Amino acid sequence: MTNTAISVEKLNVSFGDSHVVKDLSFTVGQGESYGLVGESGSGKSTVLRVLSGLNRDWSGTVAIEGAVQPKLRAKAFHRNVQMVFQDPYGSLHPKKTIDDALAEPLAIHGIRDAQARIGKTLSDVGLPASFRFRFPHQLSGGQRQRVAIARALVLEPSILLLDEPTSALDVSIQAEVLNLLSALRHERKLTYILVSHDLAVVGHMCERLLVMQFGRAVEEMAVGTLSARQPQTAYAQQLLTASEGFRRAG
Amino acid sequence: MSDTSVSDRSGWRDWLMSTSPASRRQARLGQFYRQWLAFRSNPSAMIGLVIVVALLLIAAAAPLVASQDPLVQDLPQRLQPPSWAHLFGTDALGRDIFSRVVYGTRVTLVIVLLVVITVGPIGLLIGCAAGYLGGWVDTVLMRITDVFLAFPRLVLALAFVAALGPGLENAVIAIAFTAWPPYARVARAETMVIRNADYISAIQLQGASQGRIVWKHVVPMCMPSLIVRTTLDMAGIILTAAGLGFLGLGAQPPIPEWGAMISAGREQIFDQWWVATFPGLAICVVALGFNLLGDGLRDVMDAR
Amino acid sequence: MQTLANKAEAPLLDIDNLKVDFHTPTGIVQAVRGLSFTLGRERLGIVGESGSGKSMTGRAILDLIPHPGVVGADRMLFRGQDLMSMDRKARRKLRGRHISMVMQDPKFSLNPVQTVGSQIAEAYRIHHKAGSREARERSLAMLEQVQIREPARVYDLYPHEVSGGMGQRVMIAMMLIAEPEILIADEPTSALDVTVQLQILKILDDLVSQRGMGLIFISHDLHLVQSFCDRVIVMYGGKVMETLPAAELADESARSRRHPYTLGLLNCLPDLDRPREKLPTLNRDPAWLA
Repeated sequence: MTNTAISVEKLNVSFGDSHVVKDLSFTVGQGESYGLVGESGSGKSTVLRVLSGLNRDWSGTVAIEGAVQPKLRAKAFHRNVQMVFQDPYGSLHPKKTIDDALAEPLAIHGIRDAQARIGKTLSDVGLPASFRFRFPHQLSGGQRQRVAIARALVLEPSILLLDEPTSALDVSIQAEVLNLLSALRHERKLTYILVSHDLAVVGHMCERLLVMQFGRAVEEMAVGTLSARQPQTAYAQQLLTASEGFRRAG
Repeated sequence: MSDTSVSDRSGWRDWLMSTSPASRRQARLGQFYRQWLAFRSNPSAMIGLVIVVALLLIAAAAPLVASQDPLVQDLPQRLQPPSWAHLFGTDALGRDIFSRVVYGTRVTLVIVLLVVITVGPIGLLIGCAAGYLGGWVDTVLMRITDVFLAFPRLVLALAFVAALGPGLENAVIAIAFTAWPPYARVARAETMVIRNADYISAIQLQGASQGRIVWKHVVPMCMPSLIVRTTLDMAGIILTAAGLGFLGLGAQPPIPEWGAMISAGREQIFDQWWVATFPGLAICVVALGFNLLGDGLRDVMDAR
Repeated sequence: MQTLANKAEAPLLDIDNLKVDFHTPTGIVQAVRGLSFTLGRERLGIVGESGSGKSMTGRAILDLIPHPGVVGADRMLFRGQDLMSMDRKARRKLRGRHISMVMQDPKFSLNPVQTVGSQIAEAYRIHHKAGSREARERSLAMLEQVQIREPARVYDLYPHEVSGGMGQRVMIAMMLIAEPEILIADEPTSALDVTVQLQILKILDDLVSQRGMGLIFISHDLHLVQSFCDRVIVMYGGKVMETLPAAELADESARSRRHPYTLGLLNCLPDLDRPREKLPTLNRDPAWLA
């Protein structure tokens, strides 16, 4: 077993009266890609928001690369852990060019060679240099998602949290973005946590996955178990069957 | 010769309309140019722009435009009807109304500018801070705002001027005091929406400080609606200033302020209609101009 | 088989060379360019990516194209009646009574300040002369038919009080209470969880088989369309790439006969049974739109 990148123990999150994550524990190894699967209300996105530091109202233990994390994260933490959001239309500032979007994190962390880094990151995510000074409204959904990935990578983090990164995209664009994410992971030895409702996407991208329902862990399995259609729990089996499409009884 | 100038111009156009700008500046100018093109295609907005630009030009060139010194009294010539010598006639002290209306643009502009530079930033900062930070900051700031909103603007301005003493500066201060709450409200409402956007989450995740997030990411998003709101409000500000002037609490004689001029002419309104009518028309036209301009700006800037 | 049987009967809908153009200041945008199909008492799927014109097709049939859009067709017949020559008023009467539509997000389709029950009842009374008691009874029966467990309770709820799946059922109940011959469902389940999605499909499926309704099912999801529909139209850039029996989409041996676009769409989906290092991407051929 390699080193642990992320470990979550007894995580609990409540919003008012609703208890959205209940006693959740899991660990993700360095360089691993780990999937969180569930329907709406399963708490999978909330887990990502806790890990990233966006949600500060939780209890339990969250450790990143061995260091237990406080509720309010240190600035250095953000250099190491970045996130890609679901909606490429909402995650880019409408009044900032791509160049601005990528320069901002570098300015915040006082990184010098901004020009060179922006250029390199753009080419790494497969965007032509001529796009650098465009505004988000001049880009397609897939291109925007590439910009969002570039923004996450420009600080050279080792952990990337992916919140349904392709569910707002057409299937052909989804394939391109998934390929890009796979390639980047291998090149940069990144650790991924991928949240998705799409079992096929998780099966394609991840080595292990955790099925969640109503804020609880239902079953953790290797991707082989998924593709062999052999989950142990009834709920995981039900999700898997439902994802195969419509079946007419009789 | 003419050929080169044409190709030069289309070169500029292409440069501005380029879909792959080569620098930050080109991207910004291009964005600006596109908005201008949209603005230009709106006739009523262009009328508004023409009126406002004319106002600026007349104010700047008032000594050249005016036919006389606006303060010189010529009692034998008092209450003359409009003629070639006095385009808008003369008032009860024999002063040329046309010249006074022309110089009045300066007074109006001073009021408008002073109010804008005080009200815009105050409203923006209070609103953005309240909306973004939330919690008790929001509660305190918004209750203060509510207190100011509870009074009709002119009445509150009257109270302030009564306390501070009449005069142009005090009128401006009073108007500014009464004008900021709606701006804070607008900025707060916008911020409440913006702060939940993914792009703000993304910048939080990059480790930006709260001040940086508000100033560099929230404020630019609130700007368009505030600019539009300011422009639309300008008419109201001018009317409030004129109202204070009319009541003798704004600019003091002999300053040629439009509201005060109407007030002075109200005794002769039936016999010498021109004394009150021309400053009234000036207020009307300028207020209309700002309103049209504001509507046009809203169409262009709020279209996301 | 079923499709062949339907051929014998006159089709519910017969459309030839449907076009939707948008006249914008920068030129004409062709959203749909020459679409022809017939609909029997069957489940017809229209699949395509965003911008393929699939939603515009549904809207054009209902005369719901927004302002700068213009609909043209050589033929658009609903049970033999010419829709193109019909006036607005007659078109509106047809809409809802004979042809209905279910949209993607029930939140935007329901009036937020009226209870869901009263909206269904109102839909019924628009098309049938009925008293309020009868309308209420019909609405409750309809809610039960879309498998809502406590119709009387749900009847008095406001749209924000129902879940996404429930809201979509309410929408379907509202659209079906007039007993239309054709239902156009535009991505009716894509905002829903998979398990809920299947329940909604089951309801639609029963309606087609029991009532003999014609269903146009517009979706981006090839898997779903392939498992749910009888026939599928694949659209790209406003044009039909191919029309095929849904079963052939899944049929590996029939792949060689597929249009390259359909094949590209099928291939670029991640598949649990075929783990691949890299997903094939879709190369769009400009000749497809020629």
